This record gives sequence, structure tokens and C-alpha cells, in this order.
Amino acid sequence: MTRSSVVTVLRVTLLWAAGISVLFPIVWIALASLKTPEQLNDPFLIAFTPNFASWQNVLSSGILGAAGRSALVALVTVGISVVVGSMGAYAIARYRAGGTLTRFGMLAAQVLPPAVLVFPFLTMAYALRLTDTLIPVIFSHLSFVLPVVTWFLIGFFEAVPRSLEEQAQVDGLTRFTAFRLVVLPQVYPGIGAAAIFGFTLSWNDLFYGLILAPGKAAILPVAIAGFNTFRGVQIGSMSAAILIAVVPVVIASFFIQRKLVQGISGGAVKF
Amino acid sequence: MPSLRFQHGMVAPLAALFVGVVGFPLGYAAYLSVTDYKLTDRGAPNLVGADNYVAAFSDGAFWGAFGTTALYVLVAVGLELVIGLAIALALQKQRWAKDLTRSMLLAPMFITPIAVGLTFRFLLNDQLGAIPAMLDAIGVEYDFFGPGRALFTLAFIDVWQWTPFMVLLLLAGLESIPKEPLDAARLDGASGLYVLRRITLPLLAPVLVVAILLRCLDAMKVFEYVFATTRGGPGTETETLQYFIYQTGIQFFRLGSASSMAFIVLVVVLAVIVIAFRRMERTKSR
Repeated sequence: MTRSSVVTVLRVTLLWAAGISVLFPIVWIALASLKTPEQLNDPFLIAFTPNFASWQNVLSSGILGAAGRSALVALVTVGISVVVGSMGAYAIARYRAGGTLTRFGMLAAQVLPPAVLVFPFLTMAYALRLTDTLIPVIFSHLSFVLPVVTWFLIGFFEAVPRSLEEQAQVDGLTRFTAFRLVVLPQVYPGIGAAAIFGFTLSWNDLFYGLILAPGKAAILPVAIAGFNTFRGVQIGSMSAAILIAVVPVVIASFFIQRKLVQGISGGAVKF
Repeated sequence: MPSLRFQHGMVAPLAALFVGVVGFPLGYAAYLSVTDYKLTDRGAPNLVGADNYVAAFSDGAFWGAFGTTALYVLVAVGLELVIGLAIALALQKQRWAKDLTRSMLLAPMFITPIAVGLTFRFLLNDQLGAIPAMLDAIGVEYDFFGPGRALFTLAFIDVWQWTPFMVLLLLAGLESIPKEPLDAARLDGASGLYVLRRITLPLLAPVLVVAILLRCLDAMKVFEYVFATTRGGPGTETETLQYFIYQTGIQFFRLGSASSMAFIVLVVVLAVIVIAFRRMERTKSR
């Protein structure tokens, strides 16, 4: 064997090992969601008649309501972030509006430990009698989705050539119309990626949801965590609930992986 | 100047919303951190000055959580760096089913962390889990959540979920490296390892630093895995900062002291970032 074929064998082995490590827990959970409680005691059982009791159990436990609330929180958060963020990001990218402070703020907000902001949100929600509603959850999610989305978009706007708007203004469009009709369509793919990424950030958050709305307005991660604490571990149902949470974001993620790098690095690195 | 009015108009909603959801809560947290506020209190809290900070500084459990978190970050991010770099190098050469392989290997980073935590709690459970059962079959008994091991198990969960993030950034970095120096070195007969150490890694350094920094900052916030698996145990071995502050604020209702701890963490985080950037600037100017 030559040296280069040894390297190839190592390379392929590594990728297979990585692939199996990624898939194994997911397949395992999918199998567990179809087992009866007795079958769960046998970890090596792979071939069996699927049993849908866990799925029925989960679907009637209000998990769909929690998924709906999570989707609502994520959509509202991302909607606000994209509208406000794209306007602001454009002004920052083109005119250095707000100076370095605004730009720095977007980056700095991403390193704030959630533990700093969560207690003010809780106290305010308490004072306004909004605990266990979705409103404080949306506000808290804005605190991390808005900076990330804006940061992404600054990078994407900087990649749009300036001549486009200059031409549009020569053609008699106002600055805002030029932004809306000429510049914005150029960054639609970037906005799409930022929106999906923001959605997954909001959809995946446990910490804020757990503290601000632990009860009847629980969002999906909080509801999933509930399978662990209150009724002992109901493993079959928990597995089904996990799959409900995992599938939408993993599908969504396939569409944005290329744009993601450009966004995270603020446009500095392109894929 | 109409242009100035336009740009201010565009950035104003962002600035206002940002102040509302980040600036104001941050200021409010600063205020809470100098009061004795408890969630169960009625009426206005008392100002206690730096008492909470003094108490936090002399609280052994708080510093224990600091040490636990530091060890966790070191182990998790260190492994993610090594494995992530190896996978990124392997993926770069991959031609067959390229997009599918990448999508699949990157999937874990998009999964809800609490779901990942619960999955591994089940998978590593010593009675029901597949991995202890497999180990048992070859005669090895290993309690993943036992004393001295639980924190490493948590770090391992972090590695499963976040190595893909490392891969994503490093792969992008690798693909933006100019090809000429690599080809030249190969023509000169340099070995693969030499090329990696002397050419690829130095060119990749800026991306490596950003990737390590981003991962460290994120790993510091670990909460879900602890909440899903050990709840801080055995003993206080896996009490990470975020979990410790959560307990202080939510289980013991002491919002004032919890806020002061969160601020101490914030200052340490900022210090780490400033030092990292200073280092980066210095290496650049050299």
C-alpha cells in the first residue's frame, strides 16, 4: 500500500466513524419511541413490531400545543428581528450609522450570559402580571435573536455593490424605495438563512422558557424537559417528543449550511 | 442633510428595540445585583451595596462552579478542536456524496440541547442504555454518571453536539486558503504532515482562533445537559456556573445574589475576550 492510500483509508474510516456516531443516538431514539415499555429493557432489540402507544400518548399530552407555542414565539421573534434588523444592518453596513457602538453592541450581546438578563425579565414579568405567558418569552428571545440576525445581515449587506443603489437613485427612487426594491432583493438568500438560523436559536432555547413560562404556556423544550422531572422518565413518550422537536430544525438546517459560515463570521469568511 | 436623517431613521428602530430587550434589562440586572431582592418579597427591595458581590466572592461553592465550568470548557472545546480539525480535513477531500455527508455530519448542532441531553441520559443509562450494555458485553463496567466521571460525560455530550460547529467553520476556513503554497510545497516533496503543520495551520490560524473563542463562550453557558442528566450531582461535581446561578435565583429565590454572580461571570467573560483579542492583534502585527 502506498502512503496516499493509507491516508485515504484513514480519511474514509474517520468519516464513517463520525457518521455512525451522529446517526446512532438518533436512530436509537427513533426505535425507542416505537417500543413497548417491556421492550425498552432490551437495548439490543432492533427487529420488533412497532408499537405506536408512545406516539399516541405524546400527541394527546399537549406536546403539539407546546410545539405550536414554540413556533409562534420563534416566528414573532424572527419576524421582528428580520424587519428591524435588516433596516438597521443596512444603515450600519452602508453609512456606519450609530458608529462602532451599535455594531459592537450586536457582537457584545452575543456573549452576554443568559443568567444576567433572565432575572430582570422575570421581575418585570412578575410586576406586569405576565408570568407564564408568551410575551416575556418573546422579549427574552429577542435579546439574543435580534443581535445575531443583525450581525448576519451586516455581512450580507456589505457584499452588495454600492453602484446598485447609486443607479437606482439616478433613476429617481428615494433612498428607502431603493433599499426596499433594489438592495433588499439582493440579500434575500442571506435574510432567509438568518431567519432560519434565528428560528432554530429560538426554537431550541430552554433556559428563558423554563424560568419565564414553566407552566401552562410552556414552550416545546420546557415540555420535553417535563418528561424527565414530573412523571419519572417515560422513555418511550420522551423519545417521541424529542423527535418532534428535532425533525423541523434538522430539515431547515439543510438549507442554510452554506450561508451560515458567511453569517457567523459577519461576512469575513465565505463558503 | 437628508442622508443623515435617512440613516438615523433606519437604525433607530434597531437601537430602540436593542435598548429595550438588552440595555434596559442589563441596567436592571445591575440594580438587582446591589439589592437584597427575593422573588417572594413584597414591596421595594433594600439596597445593600456591594454585599452580594462580597458574599459571592467568599462563596466557595460559586468558585467551585467556576472551576467545574473551566474544566468542562477545556475538555469539551479541546476535543472539539482536534476532532473537528480532523473531520474538516477529511471532508475537504471528500468527493463522493459530498453535500449529503456534510449535511448529515453537521446535523447535531441544530438539535435542541435539552433533547440531546435527555437522549444521552437514556443512551448512557446503566440499566436501559445501549452503550453500557455494549460495554457490559465485552466485560467493562463503567458508570457514566458516577463520581469523577459525570463531568467528562457532560463534556462528551457537548463534543457530540458541537464538533459540527467547529467542522463548519474550519471547513470554510480551509476552502478559503490559497492553493498555491500547498501545491508548491508538494512539488518540493514536502510530506503531508509537514504541509499541515507549516502551511495549512498557520494560514488557518485566524479562523481557528474565532472558532475556539465562539465555542468557549458558548460552552461556558452550559445548562441543558446538566439540567437533563445530573442536576449538579454527584455531590456538586457537575454544578456549572449557569446551573448554579439558576439554582440560586430560581430554587432559592435570591435574585439579588444570583444577579451579582451573573455579573461576575460577565466580567470574567469580557476579560477573556479582551485578552484573546489583544493576543490576536499582537500576532497579526508581528
